[in-house]
Amino acid sequence: MSESIGPTARHSTPAVNAAAGRPLLELRDLDTDIALRRGTVHALDGVSLEVAPGQTLGVVGESGSGKTMTALSIMGLLPPGGRVTGGQILFEGRDLRSLPPDEVRRIRGVRMGMVFQDPLTSLNPTIRIGAQVAEPLRVHKRVGRAEARDRAIETLRRVGMPRPERIVDNYPHELSGGMRQRVAIAMALVCSPSLLIADEPTTALDVTTQRQILELIDDLREEFGMAVILVTHDLGVIAGRADRVAVMYAGRVVETAATEQLFHAPRHRYTEALMRALPESAIRESGGHDRLISIPGLPPDLSGPLTGCRFAPRCSYVSDECRTTDPSLVPGAHQHACLHPVPTPTVAVSGPVPAQVEPAAESVTAAPPERAERPVLSVRNLVKNYPVHGRGLLRRTAGQVSAVADVSFEVRPGETFGLVGESGCGKSTVGRLSVGLEQASAGQIVLDGTDLTDLTGRERRRMHRQVQLMFQDSYAAMNPRMRVDAILAEPLEIQKVGDSAARQARITTLLDQVGLPRRALERYPHEFSGGQLQRIGLARSLALRPRLIVGDEPVSALDVSIQAQVLNLMRDLQRELGLAYIFISHDLSVVDYMADRIGVMYLGKLVEIGPARDVVRAARHPYTQALVDAVPSITPDRAATRDGTTIRGELPSALDPPTGCRFRTRCPHAADICTTEPPLVGGLHQVACHLPLRPEPTSTPTPVQAFG
Amino acid sequence: MARYLITRLGQALIVVVLVTVIAFLILHLLPGGAARATLGKEATLEQLAAFNHEMGYDRPLIQQYGMYVQRLLQGDLGYSYQLNQSVVEAIEQRLPKTMVLSLLSTLLAVVLAIPLGVLQAVRRNRWPDYAITALSLLAYATPIFFLGLMMIIVFSQVWPILPPEAPQGFTVAEVLADPAGLVLPTATLAIVTIAVYARYVRSSMIDNLNENYVRTARSKGLSERRVVLRHTLRNGLFPVITLLGMYLPALFSGALVVESLFNFPGMGQLFWQAALKRDFPILLGVTVIISIATVVGALIADLLYAAVDPRVRLRGSAT
Repeated sequence: MSESIGPTARHSTPAVNAAAGRPLLELRDLDTDIALRRGTVHALDGVSLEVAPGQTLGVVGESGSGKTMTALSIMGLLPPGGRVTGGQILFEGRDLRSLPPDEVRRIRGVRMGMVFQDPLTSLNPTIRIGAQVAEPLRVHKRVGRAEARDRAIETLRRVGMPRPERIVDNYPHELSGGMRQRVAIAMALVCSPSLLIADEPTTALDVTTQRQILELIDDLREEFGMAVILVTHDLGVIAGRADRVAVMYAGRVVETAATEQLFHAPRHRYTEALMRALPESAIRESGGHDRLISIPGLPPDLSGPLTGCRFAPRCSYVSDECRTTDPSLVPGAHQHACLHPVPTPTVAVSGPVPAQVEPAAESVTAAPPERAERPVLSVRNLVKNYPVHGRGLLRRTAGQVSAVADVSFEVRPGETFGLVGESGCGKSTVGRLSVGLEQASAGQIVLDGTDLTDLTGRERRRMHRQVQLMFQDSYAAMNPRMRVDAILAEPLEIQKVGDSAARQARITTLLDQVGLPRRALERYPHEFSGGQLQRIGLARSLALRPRLIVGDEPVSALDVSIQAQVLNLMRDLQRELGLAYIFISHDLSVVDYMADRIGVMYLGKLVEIGPARDVVRAARHPYTQALVDAVPSITPDRAATRDGTTIRGELPSALDPPTGCRFRTRCPHAADICTTEPPLVGGLHQVACHLPLRPEPTSTPTPVQAFG
Repeated sequence: MARYLITRLGQALIVVVLVTVIAFLILHLLPGGAARATLGKEATLEQLAAFNHEMGYDRPLIQQYGMYVQRLLQGDLGYSYQLNQSVVEAIEQRLPKTMVLSLLSTLLAVVLAIPLGVLQAVRRNRWPDYAITALSLLAYATPIFFLGLMMIIVFSQVWPILPPEAPQGFTVAEVLADPAGLVLPTATLAIVTIAVYARYVRSSMIDNLNENYVRTARSKGLSERRVVLRHTLRNGLFPVITLLGMYLPALFSGALVVESLFNFPGMGQLFWQAALKRDFPILLGVTVIISIATVVGALIADLLYAAVDPRVRLRGSAT
């Protein structure tokens, strides 16, 4: 806050605007270290980036790539032990590292704004929304209380908050996740910053909400002439929004180019592999028959010394040179740091086939399951209501949350049935009911011809061997004090299967099946990575040789490259063992890849059910179409689209769901007839809608089960 | 809100009834009995029987309990032959004095422990944190009678600036008239309490400083002072509310050891002497009072929580 700096800060904006083309923010050779108890992690190593005013820079990478650390380094918000150790952070021409801390603090508060990933925890729970939004004004601009309140209301209105005059007096817990993220954006924008950093701003949100938030950020960027740094793991999010993209891997920028160029013709082998690991790539290239191209192994440990290209150990194009030479970014408009880049841009997408891609033939010719075969699981008119307790001593039931309302579907042997929908739609409840973790309020769950709701005690437990559950967070689903061998043996012990030698043999087989080394048996869950834990989780669900596995978001917590490994494994085991899956996910592109048939749920109802390709590519229900349109895609022509079916507003309460069609309150096509409940009708591709978007095709050319 | 209170008071009543039943049973199953304790060694069997008959001690326990409850509802906690006064009178005499001591020490503890805990959290793993942690653990681990004795030795023997005995006044006014006498007992009680509270404040503040909302506050360019005081402190103090609620019964029961050590005629001493002399009416009376205080303390803590934390809605007052 010395005399010499004060005036510069005030006049810096016009100066930058005058110097057109000069970057607003430039990182030069940024190094960031994080000191942990077990050693120092070199989180960033020579990161150079720049953003021009009004531009959106997408920073993409998997966990541990350094993308978030880059954002936090710019903002000076590194976690305890974190420190920028080298390089420059030039903001409006001045190096933030050489400015006094108070000055940097003011720049951070006024000229920059940041939006974080988890809107549920990033607002202060005990301060009213208005006070939180207006705080930067009060602190940095000395605005009075009344004016600050007005400015907060105005900013909230700008970010699309309904009834902002009332919201200012609310507390964060009274708002939904999407609304809280709007509050966080308003808070970042209240001082009209010239740079907005959004770190995974939509990762915790549903796809339809994600779409609303991303469009909002886009609109605000134009309106305010801001620069935006959009940090995400999701290539699709970047493809639709950013002007330029920087791909990060293991603490370095490995490739940077204009968005279109990068997605059309990636040069770095890592970028290429990452894109091809996406389920949507497999669907585009082979209709989903092929295995996904996974990236083997794990990213390197950044606490040790590293030589050569950091991707070399996982790269299929690796040469000896890669292991010894440290490639640097080739200067130019399209920069990449790869010794064996994808050769010519035009043929790049269908370029040379990497070594580990397996031929698709096997899966295509795999014998389709018998059509006449009896379903493994048949769910009929399933209903689950949760009572809500009222006031008073007796806590009378005051109402009920309708979590699952009259859902029916079948799963055939060897088939994958995908269940999609947004949070609160009841898809996980259906999963838990199917495995018998909860009692249905009404309806039947018929497993192999036996109605589970009739059974009690031991018989029920025996039947449930047939159906097993696989969780999203396998670490949380394992006892941290049990070794892997005990974890895998437990289901066998509970069901009294075999003697201890037989059990030992069984768990060794299981480990082989999921591709983990034998020595994993002696280790504890915390010693494994996310992908390995999913493998152990899968092994545990396989222990009792079930016929059906219910996977509740089994790959949602994994990075793209690891996700591909697990999805491939699930498909391989399905083929080997004739397993059926219920694959529950919010991620339509993963379900599209995995499932033979898809059911779409909205607010407890199954609104559409049919062959996977038809549901995704020829949706009949407006809600399904909105979901499909909201999924970010890396395909350039799909990515940029801003029309299509968009739904607005918030999910109604399941405590008092809308009468008739439950979707009608948000449906763009709603008419009078929608006040009566539409039945689920049709042949193979059924829809519960009075006004379906398209009729069911008269002939279904391929039998459903042929997709394997 | 009213509904919530009625529910909670109903629960409180059940707890108090259970406490009286248990206390009553345990005290009456003790060998020796009240008659021997009251009449002394010389009393003949006939005298004992007569006493028991007069007091109703020869009737079935259930009847005795019924009589006790009946009197209790009329505000009669019984009569202590040993003190030769009614239990209510005995408590009335001592309770205010105990509360003076407890309130003073608690107030002192809270006022000192909160800043200490905050300082520790902000300077985590640096020397102020280590120093306060070391002192806290020392205070924690020292038996309170030893701590009190050391205080007496240091401040009234080695360096005689304070009296070794608490004020002996009969009323609260008389007690307060001798502030010097209150210093050592208050300080002894407070030191241990500070250690406990500071640890809680420290860990709660550290948890909160690692929360995402604090990072958001920092991203707004706020000063560290504002981040800590405006954003973190309020959320960090919630555990103190629970602690205070749990501490309320101690206001009534008094500090047994400290009162005995400094010869302070409060509730703790009353209870201690009654236990030695098997003065059942006093023991029961004090137990009932403390059980009520415990239940009320928990209730007050819950109400305070609801007042300071907007996320807490009392069940029964909202959906």
